[in-house]
Amino acid sequence: MTRQSPKVGVYGFTGCAGDQLMILNCEDQLVDLFGATEIRSFVMAKSDNHEGELDVAFIEGSISTEEQLKKLKEIRERAKVVIAIGTCASHGGPQAMKLGEGGWEERYRKVYGNAKITISKAFEAQPIDAFVKVDMYIPGCPIDKGEFLAAVSKLVAGRHPYLYKFPVCTECKWKENPCILYAGKFCGGPLTKAGCGAVCPSYGLPCVGCWGPTDDLNVSSEYKLLKEKGYNPDEILRKLRKFGGAKVAQLLKDVENKGAKA
Amino acid sequence: MRELNVEALARVEGDGGITVTLDGKKVKSVTLDIHEGPRLIEQLVKGMTPADDLNVIPRICAICTLSHRYSAIRGLEKALGITPPEKAQLTRELMMLGENVESNSLHTFLLALPDFLGYPSAIAMLNDYADDVKRALRLKKYGNHVMAVTSGRIVHGENPVLGGFGKYPARKALEEIKLKAHELVPDAVRAVELFASLEYPTYSEADMMFMSVNAPKKSFGFAGDNILISNGKEVSAEDYKKLTNERVVTHSFAKRSLYQDGTFTVGANARMVNMGKRLDGQAADLFKEHYNDRWLKNPLYNNLAQAIEMLWSLEHIPDAADQVASMEDPATAEPTRQTGSGTGAVEAPRGTLYHHYEIKDGLIDVADIITPTAQNLDDIERHMKLTAERMLSEGKKDDEVRLHLEMVARAYDPCISCATHLVTLKRI
Repeated sequence: MTRQSPKVGVYGFTGCAGDQLMILNCEDQLVDLFGATEIRSFVMAKSDNHEGELDVAFIEGSISTEEQLKKLKEIRERAKVVIAIGTCASHGGPQAMKLGEGGWEERYRKVYGNAKITISKAFEAQPIDAFVKVDMYIPGCPIDKGEFLAAVSKLVAGRHPYLYKFPVCTECKWKENPCILYAGKFCGGPLTKAGCGAVCPSYGLPCVGCWGPTDDLNVSSEYKLLKEKGYNPDEILRKLRKFGGAKVAQLLKDVENKGAKA
Repeated sequence: MRELNVEALARVEGDGGITVTLDGKKVKSVTLDIHEGPRLIEQLVKGMTPADDLNVIPRICAICTLSHRYSAIRGLEKALGITPPEKAQLTRELMMLGENVESNSLHTFLLALPDFLGYPSAIAMLNDYADDVKRALRLKKYGNHVMAVTSGRIVHGENPVLGGFGKYPARKALEEIKLKAHELVPDAVRAVELFASLEYPTYSEADMMFMSVNAPKKSFGFAGDNILISNGKEVSAEDYKKLTNERVVTHSFAKRSLYQDGTFTVGANARMVNMGKRLDGQAADLFKEHYNDRWLKNPLYNNLAQAIEMLWSLEHIPDAADQVASMEDPATAEPTRQTGSGTGAVEAPRGTLYHHYEIKDGLIDVADIITPTAQNLDDIERHMKLTAERMLSEGKKDDEVRLHLEMVARAYDPCISCATHLVTLKRI
């Protein structure tokens, strides 16, 4: 008995195309990847794209024009499973760092003046789950090859992929890196989702939070650690919203409230 | 009035399309439409510290991530009065060589070549050109590896920082890079031979103006403080606004550039026109063999220029790795002032990339980023229009015209996410 290879589409919206590039960066597995799945659409990689029913849609990038929104909804309708790949699709990314704080129109006007761009109507970038149901998130800026390939292998085998639920600190401890916080520098590791292999702390540099907020249930104790080191919530938010945007703001609010109740 | 459309331009980075508007038999306009949404990154980094800015701005583009980082570092270091140690400079040069191999191998073999050979993708070429596809993947993987060793990750590595590096590459990793570079030289030579053997149609040909940085010490290279123009002029990178004159057009979220009211081209072809005579090694021999006057008129030669450049980069990696390995790790250089301005200019694989910063009391006050694709867009449209006019007057079929327009656009190796970057200054 042969299993039918899943029909896959890879799509990109507002972002840097880094997650699609990471798929192309799987040089050793690329040929197998195209063999194990039926890649129906992947505009960055090929010209013969056929839109239609999909088993899985991988979506990179945030949504920032009416045109994109229409396309996103259309993809959702014909895909059984929608997977957000990368931090922009999952959390909004750098372009959504001030989401919910206002000021977008002013910034837009500073860039384009009063010129009317007729191609499509633009708005402040938002993660894709602001508009459609997302079945799974593979964050990262960019996504990690290993994490992506592991997820795809599970999907091809008809199983649910497993992604780390703990923060970067755990991966950092596995690597036995000296703690950046103890060296007196701010590090986003405690509140950032693992998956990168604690790459920045391994180079002696602070975690910049590019995987977005962690979904660890113990996040309050991680947060407490940062506060003990003397960082206040505003400062933490300023550092981490570069990638996590409104979702980091929400996470911080939730932990604060929980702390107040306890 | 009739329209001929390429709705989604495939095998480029980012979301774009092409629209040809015809009035009877006359081509009224050809536009490269940028559907990619606006991000307003330059506005968002306002008020950030230079270190925070450096985390964000490479995210403008994944393929040119290190060019963005390096250009920003150059601009920020000038603004803050930081003199980077020699080892940092050399390590940065090495990372740029890696990015050049990665990006040029991806573009030439995997994105551009399928057009010339009549396939929808590199994967579809596997049956007939398995060796070349595997060659491309080997070169790309190697370029990525050099980027990872120097910058910490294959895309968006945070290791290059102001004044130096988080951690300098280990000697063992540098030794491996060096040995592997020697091994891969024949693959890059094959790339040059392959791209030299292709037919480059003449439809798009017209006189062109080229710009690139002037690499120091009369050598070929990817960074410099001055800009060379193919008319013989040389201008300081600090005067980048005179060269790039950005303006808004209605069919794109990317801005446009003109120099002295004319269009111009940046990229590998421009570097060959301006600095090709400075090449050395096998790259120099092959350049002499294949360079001719048509390079000055035909954007499709950018593909061959990229192949030669990739060979030069590969040939230079062993020396660069040796130099880095021979030095002790220096301390990170610190800012000498907290207020100032500076412009960085580097050669991203697809052309000159400017990062201009004004810093006030340690925070970003103005960030202005001019990307290569934004500079190239007017010339891309000019050459596409010529192609459409000439092909339609010869009675060519729509599908054939479409393919050739895509080939012209793709030859520029456009980075559409990059181009969708926007400046802070209003110039309407």
